[in-house]
Amino acid sequence: MIKERSQAIMRSKWFMPAFCLGLGGVVLLASWLGGQLGNGVFGLVVMAAFGLFFLLVSGRSETVRGLTTNRDERFVQIDLKATGVAGLTLITTLIVAWLVEIARGHDGSPYSWLGAIGGLSYALAVAFFRWRG
Amino acid sequence: MRNQVRALRTQRGLAQGQLADAMGVSRQTINSIENERYTPSLPLAIALARYFSVPVEEMFDDQGA
Repeated sequence: MIKERSQAIMRSKWFMPAFCLGLGGVVLLASWLGGQLGNGVFGLVVMAAFGLFFLLVSGRSETVRGLTTNRDERFVQIDLKATGVAGLTLITTLIVAWLVEIARGHDGSPYSWLGAIGGLSYALAVAFFRWRG
Repeated sequence: MRNQVRALRTQRGLAQGQLADAMGVSRQTINSIENERYTPSLPLAIALARYFSVPVEEMFDDQGA
């Protein structure tokens, strides 16, 4: 029931705009705590613009609607592939940055930690999904 | 994967959107299946076959994939 309810919320056309606005609020709060209120306001405006974009375009674009509110099995596959590509790009970037840092005589932080988290989470996810069948 | 989805749909005078609504997927997904760019999941393949009242193996041809 909780799963169904959360899926219903995520399928709402207001979910992505609300998520963007919420994230913008978090950016504003973090920037304010860091003494950079101007950057926070800019971040909030950018995220609010993204939210507005999703709200306006989802009514017209089947692709945006499919990737945000109305995911069918094909869009789930597309999302998985895109997530895989993004993850591969990120881990490749981390490895290159880590090697550059080592070549500069540094200890490779924080790239070594980020790479380790990525590798470990991948291994755990494989083990989990293998166990789950 | 080769399939008869377009042939069966047009035979019944259905638009892609109508079939998509009946299957609970997007119109683009039906279009991708018809153009053999997307192979549907087993539940969707069965649902399509049921909808058109044909056996799954008659609707989808894995030999010609």
